[in-house]
Amino acid sequence: MTTTVKTERHSQTLKLVHIAMFSALMMIGANISSYLVIGGVPITLQTFFAILAGLLLGSRTGAAAMAFYAFIGLAGLPVFAQFSGGLDTLISPTFGFIVSFIILAYATGKIAERFPTVIGFVAAALVGLIINYGFGTNWMYAAYRFWFAAPEGFTYEMAWAWMAVPFPKDLILTVAAGIFGYRLKPIVSKYM
Amino acid sequence: MMEKMIFGRYIPGDSFVHQLDPRAKILFVFLFIAVVFIANNAVTYALLLAFTLLVIVLSKIRLYFLINGLKPVLILLIFTFLLHIFFTREGDVLLEIGFIEVYEEGLRQGIFISIRFLVLVFITSILTLTTSPISITDGTEVLLHPFKRLKLPVHELALMMSISLRFIPTLMDETGKILKAQTARGSDISSGPLKERLRAVTPLLIPLFVSAFKRAEDLATAMEVRGYRGGEGRTRYRQLEWAGRDTAVLLVLAVFAGLLWYFRT
Repeated sequence: MTTTVKTERHSQTLKLVHIAMFSALMMIGANISSYLVIGGVPITLQTFFAILAGLLLGSRTGAAAMAFYAFIGLAGLPVFAQFSGGLDTLISPTFGFIVSFIILAYATGKIAERFPTVIGFVAAALVGLIINYGFGTNWMYAAYRFWFAAPEGFTYEMAWAWMAVPFPKDLILTVAAGIFGYRLKPIVSKYM
Repeated sequence: MMEKMIFGRYIPGDSFVHQLDPRAKILFVFLFIAVVFIANNAVTYALLLAFTLLVIVLSKIRLYFLINGLKPVLILLIFTFLLHIFFTREGDVLLEIGFIEVYEEGLRQGIFISIRFLVLVFITSILTLTTSPISITDGTEVLLHPFKRLKLPVHELALMMSISLRFIPTLMDETGKILKAQTARGSDISSGPLKERLRAVTPLLIPLFVSAFKRAEDLATAMEVRGYRGGEGRTRYRQLEWAGRDTAVLLVLAVFAGLLWYFRT
């Protein structure tokens, strides 16, 4: 084991690298289905990874990592789900979920910093999921209204009914993310 | 697939659009997104479509790549079209099958909104197809420069972009390796009840995260050792050059916006 002198500069550089690295990890999370298929449905672990960004990197760095992920995706790197990317994602109704990752990483990070217990981590993850669904679904509805000038027949309830399908899976994954983050935190802290 | 990862969706070429300054292209796309909303009747939508076709021709991007990029959003496009067909109740009834009635206005709106969507996807795709991610980063760095006053870390953004470009293939490799290693140890992710499979994901993700954090620490140390000290005093290898054609392209867009405005009702 080597001893490292942790200077101000070093922690700045490390933060920078962490943000870049987590955005790359998000890309893996978004496309993990190309490695493994669970129950025949391609799944994305984006929310799972976004929660972990908040739990492991902390509120500020975690949120920065998610903002950066959105940025490189828009710049054309195929980091979003299904290896998509590019500025056209901006007009996709599901872009709200990508934006929600920024907010949820900040919120989960804050809660986990305040209550560093298993319960605290799981609760933080659940708050993250609520932000993800709340923000993402409202954005999706607004996007349909605005970009596609959806007629009256497309109701607010329809948008939510759509989201009810993946909810049970996400709920399980979120609790898992909380426990997972708690287990991982002391291990990765060694490298921070 | 690795190649796809490294270069993003960029297709190298030497067309007029490829040669434009990334700053001009980024500005063009952002302005275009606003211009699209001026169109509101048949003439203006036709103009919009013609203009987009012109850009496609100039970019010399094979239609195949554009259609390919459209695939993920195709369902969305169809869904939106149907939404308009079935839910708009204005104008004359064109078609009546049982309880389904298709109105004239619904069909019109459906076609218009589909064109708007198509045009937006094409133009934004062309930006990423003709501009390498690194150029886009350089361009954005310069365009965002004024925001440096608001403490936006413009230089760091560009640096992190290069780092994650480097990390993406490494982490993909790593994921594949860990997956194989765990499968060899008898971990089964592809069968059994959902709970079991989720449990099997843990031995996959723990090594992935730990190794990623370890790599990050190594890289940060390596950067320090090589004297990285932020953006001050840095000189650049890649230089951006704003040419006459870049100004011309933005002027053409302005004229086009005026034309749309003239024909809109």
